[in-house]
Amino acid sequence: MKKFVLLAGANLRKAKGQTTAIVALILLAALMLNLWLMLSLDYKQNFDRCHERLHAEHVTLAVDGDSAQLRDFLEKTLEEDRRTADYSMDEAMHMVGMFAYNGGEVNSELVFLDKETALSRSVGRVEILEEGDIQSGIYMPVLYRSEEIEIGKTIQVSIGSQEVSYKVCGFFNSVMAGSHNCAMCQLILTRDKYDELEELGYAPKSTLCSVRLNDRTESEDFEAALKNAVSFRFPQARSVSNSYALVSQSRYISQMICSGILSAMAFFILLIALIVIGSNIINYIQENMKNLGALKAIGYTSRQLKGALQVQLLGLSLLAALTGTGISYLVFPFINTMMISQTGIPYRIRFLPVPFLMTLGILGGAVALAVWFSSRRIGRTEPVTAFRQGVATHNFKRDHLPLEKTGAPLQLALALKTTLSGIRHNVTICFTMLVLSLVLVFSGLMTRNVIIDMDPFINLIVGETADSCINISAEAEEAFLEEMMADRRVEKVYLYNSLEVRHVNGAALIVTMSEDFAHVNNTDIVFEGRFPRYDNEIVIAAKYAGEKGLQLGDEITITAQGEEADFVITGFTQISNNLGKDCLLTRQGYQRLGSLQNASYYLNLAKDVDIDGFNADVKEQFGDQVNAVINIGATVEGAASVYVSLMTMIVAAILVLSVLVIAFVLYLLVRTMLSSKKREYGILKALGFTTGQLVLQTALVFMPAVTVSTAVGMTVCCLVINPLTALFLRPIGIVKCTFIVPVGYMAAAGVGLILMAFGIACLMSLKVRKIAPRALLAGEE
Amino acid sequence: MKNVLLKADCLSKSFSSGGRLSHVLKNIDLELYRGDFTVIMGASGAGKSTLLYALSGMDTPSLGTISFGDQVISGLSQDGLAVFRREHCGFVFQQIHLIDGMSVMDNVLAAGLLVSRNKKALAARAEELFSAVGISKETWKKFPAQISGGEAQRVGIVRALINEPEILFADEPTGALNSKTGLDVLDTLTRFNQAGQSIVMVTHDMRSARRGNRILYLKDGVVLGECELGAYVHQDQERHRKLAAFLSEMGW
Repeated sequence: MKKFVLLAGANLRKAKGQTTAIVALILLAALMLNLWLMLSLDYKQNFDRCHERLHAEHVTLAVDGDSAQLRDFLEKTLEEDRRTADYSMDEAMHMVGMFAYNGGEVNSELVFLDKETALSRSVGRVEILEEGDIQSGIYMPVLYRSEEIEIGKTIQVSIGSQEVSYKVCGFFNSVMAGSHNCAMCQLILTRDKYDELEELGYAPKSTLCSVRLNDRTESEDFEAALKNAVSFRFPQARSVSNSYALVSQSRYISQMICSGILSAMAFFILLIALIVIGSNIINYIQENMKNLGALKAIGYTSRQLKGALQVQLLGLSLLAALTGTGISYLVFPFINTMMISQTGIPYRIRFLPVPFLMTLGILGGAVALAVWFSSRRIGRTEPVTAFRQGVATHNFKRDHLPLEKTGAPLQLALALKTTLSGIRHNVTICFTMLVLSLVLVFSGLMTRNVIIDMDPFINLIVGETADSCINISAEAEEAFLEEMMADRRVEKVYLYNSLEVRHVNGAALIVTMSEDFAHVNNTDIVFEGRFPRYDNEIVIAAKYAGEKGLQLGDEITITAQGEEADFVITGFTQISNNLGKDCLLTRQGYQRLGSLQNASYYLNLAKDVDIDGFNADVKEQFGDQVNAVINIGATVEGAASVYVSLMTMIVAAILVLSVLVIAFVLYLLVRTMLSSKKREYGILKALGFTTGQLVLQTALVFMPAVTVSTAVGMTVCCLVINPLTALFLRPIGIVKCTFIVPVGYMAAAGVGLILMAFGIACLMSLKVRKIAPRALLAGEE
Repeated sequence: MKNVLLKADCLSKSFSSGGRLSHVLKNIDLELYRGDFTVIMGASGAGKSTLLYALSGMDTPSLGTISFGDQVISGLSQDGLAVFRREHCGFVFQQIHLIDGMSVMDNVLAAGLLVSRNKKALAARAEELFSAVGISKETWKKFPAQISGGEAQRVGIVRALINEPEILFADEPTGALNSKTGLDVLDTLTRFNQAGQSIVMVTHDMRSARRGNRILYLKDGVVLGECELGAYVHQDQERHRKLAAFLSEMGW
């Protein structure tokens, strides 16, 4: 072992620069890997821990009404179902509502609970995380703690068509209803405010039912069955529900995005580091062949020499990995803050031994394998062969680009000769640039479609958008439509109403219906086939269709309000709102199952019309007939801004990482090249080549591989980035991604990447200055 | 009257090693003349090669000036010296120093293309020089590792002469060769000198030194003496005796 350490120490002293760059790459890989493992192995489990701690439910159902009849029915249904483990049923109030948040609005089904009830529920209780001295007011989900929503500040909450103001008393954590991503959002009122709201009658009294199941994987089926049973028995009762399956996924979309990007980055950087390590070892063996021969001649075995390399690189890698994992704990708080702004579930950062050991294990194993693989040549070389400089360092079979015949300038021609004779550095460069091209294209795609203009992102993720959404009671529908048609401020009004139905022998689906889908703004949501035109046609979510093996033309049975009807699938859609469990029907199609008690209309308003003012006018005009008005733009902006800031940080981080990676890789390649070509450069300097010429020549060596791989990488990535992104977004129901690929920007970015690589290569090549021709003549090669 | 090509005034060169200053060249005043075959002799460590590097712009002196015609080269930057070397000098090294990854022809053209962009003219000159040194056409496309030491050194001479330098510096050009190939190389250099090429050669071999018309003897960093032998004539015993006497006088 001592011999290994001595040899390893000697090697390290000789190549400090290369060692530093390899360490930096491994450190980055460890940083990414540990962050990814922490996010994927523990972060999401935080949801389950929190779920268990609060004895949270697997299915939540809020039904209008608190009659004994309803409660008895619910109790009976739950107790007769063998899947029920435990449940609690409490009085609440529930209504569609909204409040301002993050520069936009949160629109959701608001479920109001009295503080004492919320804290003492046997199933699905909440925990207060922060509170002040205010005794009368509202407690908000911790997700919404922001500049606008702070303890002591007053917030306006719209409940249906009414508005109320509350002072913020504190913040709480609710696992199943603590975010607008949960299909419902709990708000907790102090007793006096709860009684006040009840008296005002803005939100109908309801029964909040929280059910724990024996097997949480049945949450979706249970939710659908329970909701169906209630709607069958109480067809007039408005209800809202969610399930563990939906909430556990929808509250962790940001975790999924971050985790996916981190895993890809970790994998790519590790692969680059391994290629670089392998390439360095091969060069090391080539350059030190005589020394290795001498060591073998005096009795060192190949195992010992390879062992020294293992000790050297494994030791370094483990040290770098330790540092990288250490740094990941410094970076994690920032990621945590970013995540919490979407999940809304507090996460306590602590040391996680499993990701830590896995990071060390994966990196150590990969490096050991790379070292073993690339150092095999030591075992095959006899001392005598090694003394004679071992294996030829140049392939003499072909004279690449004879100077006599080439039309290229001298520096370029000499650089191309080196390029064509060195396959290893070309492979490393090509791989690095392909990865960086992918990163750049992804960044460009996100910048164009999320950061600069979020419409494509919203069209893809949210689906249909308009200026205003008004939910009107069925009896006022005709008058409302007449009024809207006559209103000059309205450019277009069309039915876009969502309800819940159930696929017989399948899952609960959110159905969106319209009179005529030709009127909708976003026709891209049906990406295969066509919208339903007749009452027997249906379009279903592609993700769901894939899971159930459904094809275009298949017939499926849908049930709602106690009725069943068959529908032919005419298309596939992708809307992420319900994580890929959606369908579209015409209004006539839905009416085969039941009638609408109220209807949501989407409106496109003329330019410069104040949306909030318009909504207020409609509310005033139709009074209680209006159940809810939504400023869609503001709502979407509020929800999407989290993703925009998340994506901005991700794009910035991956661009910085890309610059670091390309700098490290080029440093290693240039350093290796200068080391192996020291003699050649000495000769060229002696012949009269200036430092500038040699710097240019060195940088140019890498440019063919850089240029070709960047061009190919950018082109291919531009073609595959949408399918790749769709693959990435598949868990939230996106099957076909239609983001705009900004070709001009990509081309400019590609040129920028090439120029940056050239600049870095030139900078790294400045070490040529230190090569002195006199040293060559004096025999100091 | 001889035409001065290169002139050194008070040339000194010191090296610092392990905190100790070692004075290798001490206040040397020297003129090198156009058309001469100047040989620098001396024992190992006398400073022969250091003098050659300094005169050729391969290294910078610690003190003193070196002038090439009207141009003082001792004050030039590294890049300025590189330009000086490529435009005015040719080099033949003891270890030959051809570039392994380039064919024989490319080794020559890589030096030629630094000065001229006229590939046709360069190729024609290379062919002429190859022919003059006895390198066959088949060898042009070979790599240095595929030819003999003698051939390689003759390629080295072609490379040194491709830019028609005003002065050719040769550092122990036969040092790594056997006697037969060494003699071929010396004959080649002699022929070029006889055709007007100025040559400065460092050697510690008397047989090589005979080719020069002017012998400088260096000892402990100073030019101890010099001897004018006149133009080389094959089998001229008188020249041999004169050189032997000079070297004997210098303590060789």
